[in-house]
Amino acid sequence: MEYVVQQIMNALAFGAEYALLALGLAIVFSIMGLVNFAHGEMIAVGGYTMVAASALALQNPFVIIVAAIGVAMVASVTLERVAFRPVRYADPTTGLLTAFGVSMILQNLFLLFVSPRPIAVTSLYFLEWSIELGSLRISSLQLFETITTLIVIVILMFFLKHTLLGLAMRAASLDFEMVRLSGVRANRVFAIAFMISGFLAGIACVFIMARRGSVDPHLGFDPVLKAFVACVVGGFGSLPGAVLGGFLLGAVEVAMLVMLPQSLGGLTDAFVFGIIAILLIWRPDGILAPRTEKGDKQ
Amino acid sequence: MLNVENLKVFHGLIEAVHGINLVVPKGQCVALLGPNGAGKTSTILGITGVARSTGVISFDERPITEMSTEARIKEGISVSPEGRRVFANLTVEDNLVLGGALKPEGKSERIAYWYKTFPILGERRDQMAGTLSGGEQQMLSIARALMNDPEILLLDEPSLGLAPKIVSQIFEMIQSLRDEKRTILLVEQNATQALRLSDYAYFLNNGRIVAKGRPDELGGREDLMAKLTGIT
Amino acid sequence: MTLSRGMSRGLIGAAMLSVLLIIAGVITAYFGSRYQLRLVYSAYVNLLVVLGLQVFMGNARITNLSHSAFMGIGAYAAAICVTPQNIKALSLPNAPWGLNAFSLDPLTSAIIAICITGTVALLVGFIIVRLSGIGATIVSLAFLVIIHALFLYRTDIFKGNQAFFGIPQVFSLTSVVLLAALVVFGVRIFRESRWGVALRASADDEVGSLSMGVDMYRLRLIAWVFSAMLLAVAGIAYAYFLGTISARPFYFNHVFLTLAMLIFGGMRTVTGAVLGTIVISLGLEMVRWLETGPIVLGVDLPEALGLSGIALGAVIVFTMALRPNGVMGENEIEDLVLKK
Repeated sequence: MEYVVQQIMNALAFGAEYALLALGLAIVFSIMGLVNFAHGEMIAVGGYTMVAASALALQNPFVIIVAAIGVAMVASVTLERVAFRPVRYADPTTGLLTAFGVSMILQNLFLLFVSPRPIAVTSLYFLEWSIELGSLRISSLQLFETITTLIVIVILMFFLKHTLLGLAMRAASLDFEMVRLSGVRANRVFAIAFMISGFLAGIACVFIMARRGSVDPHLGFDPVLKAFVACVVGGFGSLPGAVLGGFLLGAVEVAMLVMLPQSLGGLTDAFVFGIIAILLIWRPDGILAPRTEKGDKQ
Repeated sequence: MLNVENLKVFHGLIEAVHGINLVVPKGQCVALLGPNGAGKTSTILGITGVARSTGVISFDERPITEMSTEARIKEGISVSPEGRRVFANLTVEDNLVLGGALKPEGKSERIAYWYKTFPILGERRDQMAGTLSGGEQQMLSIARALMNDPEILLLDEPSLGLAPKIVSQIFEMIQSLRDEKRTILLVEQNATQALRLSDYAYFLNNGRIVAKGRPDELGGREDLMAKLTGIT
Repeated sequence: MTLSRGMSRGLIGAAMLSVLLIIAGVITAYFGSRYQLRLVYSAYVNLLVVLGLQVFMGNARITNLSHSAFMGIGAYAAAICVTPQNIKALSLPNAPWGLNAFSLDPLTSAIIAICITGTVALLVGFIIVRLSGIGATIVSLAFLVIIHALFLYRTDIFKGNQAFFGIPQVFSLTSVVLLAALVVFGVRIFRESRWGVALRASADDEVGSLSMGVDMYRLRLIAWVFSAMLLAVAGIAYAYFLGTISARPFYFNHVFLTLAMLIFGGMRTVTGAVLGTIVISLGLEMVRWLETGPIVLGVDLPEALGLSGIALGAVIVFTMALRPNGVMGENEIEDLVLKK
């Protein structure tokens, strides 16, 4: 019984993290068709901010967390302004390749100007301890992660349904031009989207750092890949799809870890991708993909 | 109020409008007529800044040619575009809220007003705009365009694709807007109806103004009518 | 048989490119050090990859990110077939299906590898060609990750990140130069063939072409499979020269490098593919030299690891922002020399 609960917690925690990461990608994609591969580097930026914070002898974990999230948001908006504005109205492929390029540049900037080696970040270790509920033992970090993600999703939904900018963002995913023709400034919509994306990356960063305890230049690569797969499964551009994809990916990963015998342990990733592949064959556009018909106004 | 001089509008490298002049005085309804492909919608796109254009566009004596689309809307121009283009994934009410983005004060009163004017919109206020019928979408599009209380309304082909009964409803609506002394630039293929509603009209063909005048002057010009309808 | 104007110009262009490539190869063979020989060889292998990439990306106008995976499939398939049994007994002791119990000559192995790669491409292609541009790109990326995961984890077949050694080194610079010249002709002929022309037309206007009866999905599939087979050839050339392969070269870094080459040169033309490969290969070597912190004009420059990554990223970002169609744009080499 405890084992089952433990595994469910695992699945939820993994899923929550992937959902957070996937949402960050999906928000930007839904508005401008950009697959932001540099999203992972926003996580690394958050991590390096934490390093800087400890170097400045800032011990208060609250300050460190807020700083990391804040810097991730600022970095994200700056990226939009500097790197993605020239390709804003270009086709999705141009944007994707630009994002690839930006990701490469950022990773190597970290390598060059900070360090090629991992740097320890221990200030968040306190977040993880064992909670005992009767005979159950669960990780506090997993609990925090799951709950935080759910809260963030609720806040996001509220923002998208009940604020003007949220409405503008949703409308922009189908007809950006008309949003501009209603007087809402395009710059503002893009900035908000990237700000939210940076916020999500910052939160994911907190949990990743609490678990890993170190940051290196290529930290962002794995998370953005997982986020990417989650989005593909859920339907690229669909926000509920991103959440669904994230939790599905987490569930499948834990299921594989549980079901595969010890000897095949290393094959988890391969099996996960295998299942993803089958899902894609069944639904090539993803499960909840927003439908666009050819000839529709883009 | 709206003064357009030597406007040329481009789609990529193609010049769709070859230097036209038109004036929309305050409080009047001016019609821009012409057959398919004449450049009427291109003119609208040029005025709103969506399509690249050259020439001088002045609004209320102020030149707006260098302004971005959003800035022009802020100046007081509002458009109900060709094809209505309601925000399909938002509710009717959200469409109106977003339409009033530039004027959040008094938003609920204005929304209530539009629900009274178009009861069907009030009935469907929580429905996704994409599920509305063509006529309902047109009403929504016009109401949305008027939500931020603009100085001038650009109406692009409001009758396009609508059943005759709905078309007359829409034109009745436009007439009541006229009665409120709103400034309107009406782009239409349906010349007869449009001429009935307007104070002045321009005829566009192949990107050039081929005739202009008051409706009573133009109505008798059978050559123009023939160009429009293909019937001589 | 009278050739269309496009085709005759295409053959001229291909000939011009081939001459350049052969000259470059000859110069390296005579004057280059052993180290430079290896560098130039890998540049030619990259050229084969970029050409294979151009066949699909340049004609179907869809970004493909799985090319390194197909290169890997070709390389591993050939490697498994061609490596002598006694070596396989050592390196793949647990190989299933008796994969370590046979070995074939290089040519047969190559043909088998190309066929396997083509078949895999056909299966994947059925899905990919039906998707929209960005959808296809996304699935191709998923495919890259899947294949890489497969390489890493079926170590009983592929040896993962460990070196798969013992491949007979039957290729030399001459072989790869001739191969490159041949492939240039093949790619150019495809581009000017009625398939290539129809594909490019439909890439520009999907709905229009469909309504004119152009079977765009079939055309895309043809280009996709042809591309994959060329990538297999590149992988085989890689394996047959180095003698050892591992999973690492067939993943993101390589995807990125070859993509940068094609984008910089201009993905719509074969000349763009060649130009991009040459410029970036040379440029990258210079940047790598700078990375080591050499002494320039008496100034001792610091080590700057990461400079090459930044340079490559910058090439892509600036090309996309300033000249998305690359240096060559729509022009092939003969357009620069002959009157249009």
